[in-house]
Amino acid sequence: MAIINELFNLGTQLIMSLQSMAIGLYTWLLYVWGKLPLLLEGTLLTLELTAIAVSLGFIIGTFAGIGRLSEKRFIRSLATIYIDFIRGTPLLVQILIVYMGLPQIIGRTVPPMVAAIASLSINSGAYVAEIVRAGIQSIDKGQAEAARSLGMTSNQTMRYIVLPQAFRRIIPPLGNEFIAMLKDSSLVSVIALEELMRKAQLVYTRDYRPFDILFAVSIIYLILTLSISRLVRYSERRLRNNDR
Amino acid sequence: MTGETNTNEIVIETLNLEKNYDDLKVLKGISVQIKRQEVVCIIGPSGSGKSTFLRCLNLLEKPTAGSILIEGQEITSPHCNIDSLRANMGMVFQNFNLFPHMSVLDNITLAPQRVKKVTKQSSEDMALMLLNKVGLKDKAKSFPDELSGGQKQRVAIARALAMQPKVMLFDEPTSALDPEMIGEVLDVMKSLAYEGMTMVVVTHEMGFAREVSDRVLFMDGGLILEDNKPEVIFTNPENPRTKSFLRKVL
Ligand SMILES: Nc1ncnc2c1ncn2[C@@H]1O[C@H](COP(=O)(O)OP(=O)(O)OP(=O)(O)O)[C@@H](O)[C@H]1O
Ligand SMILES: [Mg+2]
Repeated sequence: MAIINELFNLGTQLIMSLQSMAIGLYTWLLYVWGKLPLLLEGTLLTLELTAIAVSLGFIIGTFAGIGRLSEKRFIRSLATIYIDFIRGTPLLVQILIVYMGLPQIIGRTVPPMVAAIASLSINSGAYVAEIVRAGIQSIDKGQAEAARSLGMTSNQTMRYIVLPQAFRRIIPPLGNEFIAMLKDSSLVSVIALEELMRKAQLVYTRDYRPFDILFAVSIIYLILTLSISRLVRYSERRLRNNDR
Repeated sequence: MTGETNTNEIVIETLNLEKNYDDLKVLKGISVQIKRQEVVCIIGPSGSGKSTFLRCLNLLEKPTAGSILIEGQEITSPHCNIDSLRANMGMVFQNFNLFPHMSVLDNITLAPQRVKKVTKQSSEDMALMLLNKVGLKDKAKSFPDELSGGQKQRVAIARALAMQPKVMLFDEPTSALDPEMIGEVLDVMKSLAYEGMTMVVVTHEMGFAREVSDRVLFMDGGLILEDNKPEVIFTNPENPRTKSFLRKVL
């Protein structure tokens, strides 16, 4: 009974505040307009972090993905341990291990930017590895057999025949990984790196208008993710139209 | 394609070759000799192990027991360089396996450039010469998905020939083709045979086997049940199983 009352109260409050917000839409716009330079600065850093993390993650992930399919057991286990560890633990913990945990071991601090890029790329690499592995496995075995039957080594076969075809196929899932990383990069706000999320926190702890600023930040994230998924869908369609 | 033409020289020899997949015995002891410039066709019912045998010859499948000698060299020994062995044996697959992300020209020149370190210019000259030979001179810039099945298979043959192999292995090269395209591929293979290429051909094309081959091997149940001249196999086979198989397919 108490819960229903509580919910009712919450509901009324929400409706009332929505009302006042509708009335205050103009004030909101005006407020956000004032904060826009700060937010855009954060957005830029968010995009930068994401692009670097996914690029480095792509390199790491390509090697880890190939390693996962290696004939050598040692390499295979190494890749599996890396992928399972990263995918099985929270990104927040990984960020803090690099930023807080590592200094304890190496005896010196790690700059936030370095910690953010390192933890995000290592994280992204594990997800990209699974994408790359699936991409490689989706290529018809006859392709590798034809290359090997011409005398090409397994490395040459991977480099000239299998990977170029696999990469074409994994553009859509890589785009999704980019979107996921864009959102997850907000977690590095905990190590005081002033990307979009951290900028928002700084603003609302000073102004006490958290809803206004978080709403604006959500819209920025949404615009970014929607445009990227549009781009991915476009490239996917183009690739399907000429599959070479 | 090689300088010497000692047609008594044994190019391929297998001794008690066996291949198992787990509990399944696919090859149960195959011993055969193939001489330089010989054209040998392998026929037999589906599942008899023809493809497996052919794929053992260039180690796309690893034999379980027995030995394979290519020009006298034991290829199953760990000292053998498998890559250079394969570079000397061309293989043509039922499904062509052209590289879809490359032009016809690149399909043909890739291995000579990367494996034999042939220059771009001379590998392209060679590719154009081979394309001319298989009747596809104007398709150099095309991509595989722009070709018909018969054209794809002729490009695949040209691609294998570009490595100047001493032996060509064919695994049902016309089985995936529409009937009207089979002839153009068989014609290319025929001219290759007449030029003196050593060829091992798994095929269901009995007309080709009869006309072109020097010997026909009949395989069933993982064994070679008959190894004979085509005249004998197709008119008066010695093994009753050969007889009943041919009665079904002819
Ligand atoms: N990779 C594999 N794993 C398990 N079994 C296999 C494998 N490859 C082939 N086999 C089995 O080995 C047997 C012989 O196969 P193979 O492909 O050599 O026959 P084939 O004579 O070429 O038949 P077809 O005329 O249908 O091509 C079949 O029973 C097949 O199921
Ligand atoms: Mg077969």
